[in-house]
Amino acid sequence: MAESVLIVDDHPGFRLQARRLLESEGYRVVGEADSCASALDSARTLTPELALVDVYLPDGNGVELTSRLTSLADPPAVVLISSHDGLDLGAVVANSGARGFVAKAELSREAIEELLR
Amino acid sequence: MNGTKRRLFALGAAGLAAGAMPLPVALANEGGYQRELMAIFGPLIGWAFIGTGLLAWMRRPENRVGLLMIAVGFSWCASTLIASDQTALFITGYLTIALPYAILYHLLLAFPDGRLHSTLERVLVVAGYFSATVLKVIETMFEETAGTTRGYPENPLLITSDENLWIDVVQLRPTFGVLLALGVVMVLVWRWRAARGPQRRALTPVLVAGSLVTALLALYLGAGVIGISEVRNELEIGRIAVLAMLPFAYLGGLIHSRVVGGTAVSKLIARLGDQGRRVDVRDELAQALDDPSLALAYWLPEKESYVDAAGRAIDLPLAGSGQIATTVERAGKPIAAVIHDSSLADQRELVRAAGTAASLVLENERLEAELRAKVEELRASRARIVESSDDACRRIERDLHDGAQQRLVSMALNLRLLGSSLDANPEARRELESVRAELRAALEELRELARGIHPPMLSDRGLDAVLEGLVHRAPLPVELGATPGERLPERIESTTYFVVSEALTNVAKYSRATHARVDITRENGSVVVEVSDDGVGGADPAKGSGLLGLGDRVAAIDGKLEVESPPGQGTTVKATLPCV
Repeated sequence: MAESVLIVDDHPGFRLQARRLLESEGYRVVGEADSCASALDSARTLTPELALVDVYLPDGNGVELTSRLTSLADPPAVVLISSHDGLDLGAVVANSGARGFVAKAELSREAIEELLR
Repeated sequence: MNGTKRRLFALGAAGLAAGAMPLPVALANEGGYQRELMAIFGPLIGWAFIGTGLLAWMRRPENRVGLLMIAVGFSWCASTLIASDQTALFITGYLTIALPYAILYHLLLAFPDGRLHSTLERVLVVAGYFSATVLKVIETMFEETAGTTRGYPENPLLITSDENLWIDVVQLRPTFGVLLALGVVMVLVWRWRAARGPQRRALTPVLVAGSLVTALLALYLGAGVIGISEVRNELEIGRIAVLAMLPFAYLGGLIHSRVVGGTAVSKLIARLGDQGRRVDVRDELAQALDDPSLALAYWLPEKESYVDAAGRAIDLPLAGSGQIATTVERAGKPIAAVIHDSSLADQRELVRAAGTAASLVLENERLEAELRAKVEELRASRARIVESSDDACRRIERDLHDGAQQRLVSMALNLRLLGSSLDANPEARRELESVRAELRAALEELRELARGIHPPMLSDRGLDAVLEGLVHRAPLPVELGATPGERLPERIESTTYFVVSEALTNVAKYSRATHARVDITRENGSVVVEVSDDGVGGADPAKGSGLLGLGDRVAAIDGKLEVESPPGQGTTVKATLPCV
């Protein structure tokens, strides 16, 4: 079961809330990143078990970031997040190498574990 | 009688007298130089040049060609005095003997518009006048005229009869004259070769005669320099005979272009009047005026500018561009401009006559061009309106996403946090759960709204990704066949999206279909979007605003929307979007 988490999202407000929520549900949030570049750096140094990755990032998109994260030496499990719903993303998520997709509003340990099971 | 007429009349009278003069001079001077030749060609050349020059001057007072011709005529008459055995008359003729040729060079080089066109031409003209005046005077001071075989009387200007000096100085002018004449012939030949169609035809008679005169003069002078005196008499007779033909060559060219022009205009009128035949007025005018480069510009009074037949703005040619524009008017108002070769400048009446003959057709074409210009303007403004509304939609979608949607997401997370601290109170937990359900519904509605305004991922991820979402959400099985597989221009992508989205909405609402299919293919520079279903058919684009609005949208990017919907056999919506 994944316990250490990296949150990748360019909205500081969302990162703060997600950290509080995840920590209240027992996760250990080891880092936050606001771009693809800093996410890759953090993933290399912090080697989290789980990365929550926003589909839209200022310097690229979460789908491409996912494939780079999952090909790291000690890769995290990746769950894509977005304020859109999963249907909008269609096969994009399925082909990305991510474990799945959670709408931001539905974020919870329960939803994540459902995907990681 | 006004000033110009009076001047013409005076010149005419003087010309008549000057042209008559060589005859008595030649008759009275038995044994004078080339007496018989002067008796015949003296008056002929004088009158022909002066008469033709007056005619040319009357036609075009601003064109120097007429005056130059008159000057050739008068100087020629003066030079015939060389046939006299009276010293004073002889020396006048002797001193002016080369002047008609210097003026002729000027005339030929400035033909047909009366202007010199290059530095070389100007140098040749100045050199000609220099040779015929300064060099001629110097030569005269050293030339012993009496006692030669030519029957000249004494030279009153002689300053030395040193034979060695005489031979050197007297060779100077003819040598210079040969080089000059060859230079003039070369420039004339080059100009003739460089001239195109109508321009060349206008130049040919005068330039051929003029080059021949100049070449014969070069041979005559050259023969003198190298001492072949046997052929000089024949060369001189030949030269003078051709010189006499030059004014007639000019007149012939004039009459020819008049006759040809007149015939062309009457043919043009006949062809334009031929009912039931669609004429291309440009081609007809180009043919009538023998100028394949001819173009038409139509006047738009509203915009105070000219447009071509397709309604595109067009500038009239600038001076010196080789083309000029002649305006055609109808009922005192400009309707069009005929843009034609500047060699037709001399025949602007003809251009105007042809234009007037065609003015009814031109007025019709002007109206068509005006209409096309308006259509083009409307088309462009419609495309701009669609584009700006697309921009606005994109902005609204962005604002919804970044604003309300983010707030609702944040609220949802807060509620979840709150929920975990309310474990002990089942009543409050139930309340919270119902608020969360409300919130979820609000978020879903907001997403749906944003999608309808502008598909959120279109700009970022392109058609393929968005179409997949569209197909997934459809309430019936939709097969996504061919997709572009590459990014297309933004307006093509957004139009394609709206076509598929609207068509699938219609399928879901009205068709009672069990299955639909979407195909997007590229065909001859177009993107073809096809949505078909196996429903009840009978869709009518004229009814219901959905398909109608879609048709407008497609048309705004010059595309075409076709709906095929026979009752009972399903519906196919096909949009063809030009995409170069």
